[in-house]
Amino acid sequence: MKRAVIVITVVTGLLLMVGSVAAAPRMELPVSEFDFGYAPQNSEVSYVFWLHSVGDDTLRILKVVPG
Amino acid sequence: MLAVGDSTQLEIIFNTRRYSSRITKTPRIQTNEGSPNRNVRITTQVVRRPDSTYPVIVKPYKLDISQFGEKVRDEMKFTISNVSEQDLTLKMIYYQHDLFEIDLPESIAAGKSAEGVLRLKDPALDMSLEKSFTFELNDDAASRFTVPIKRTVKSPAALKKPSPKEVSGK
Repeated sequence: MKRAVIVITVVTGLLLMVGSVAAAPRMELPVSEFDFGYAPQNSEVSYVFWLHSVGDDTLRILKVVPG
Repeated sequence: MLAVGDSTQLEIIFNTRRYSSRITKTPRIQTNEGSPNRNVRITTQVVRRPDSTYPVIVKPYKLDISQFGEKVRDEMKFTISNVSEQDLTLKMIYYQHDLFEIDLPESIAAGKSAEGVLRLKDPALDMSLEKSFTFELNDDAASRFTVPIKRTVKSPAALKKPSPKEVSGK
């Protein structure tokens, strides 16, 4: 009986560990490059990239650092 | 925060300033993924003299559709001149569908010009904005051109001179 409890505890622990490892956020960027081609000086040009959360956990966008 | 299955937009705005060459920028996106940071990349060939580009010239090269009075300004025409010796086909590559409608000529014969039209959609009417649209040609280089769009809106209320009562605060 005692052995069975230990086995169940260990198995449950392992399953929880596997679950927490598998639950990871993942970001998908279908388009990650854009070429504006010719653009005039002293102007603003812009492009919108789509970000998708495709992992198993909430994706947090912490910061966007200008390149 | 993006729940699993959700999406969001990341707008990258590039000010061409006084650059005069091919510029590449790679903004970095930091997330809780844990993996190395992800990048997006934009490339621009900044031109000093947009009135002498090749194989086409867009006039005006920057569309300023600002509105300073009560008359609604929601449409602007532009001209694309084909200064090459081959007929060209144009393909729209990018514009913000939620803000604009853009009529782009499908093709322009060698040495000819054609007209395009920019129309603002409702959400853009009350906005000051700086955006752009990008089209591509079927020449050997698959040349791309990006046309900046600027709109500044000053409401009639903001233009109205304050009455003496408003000035004195009485």
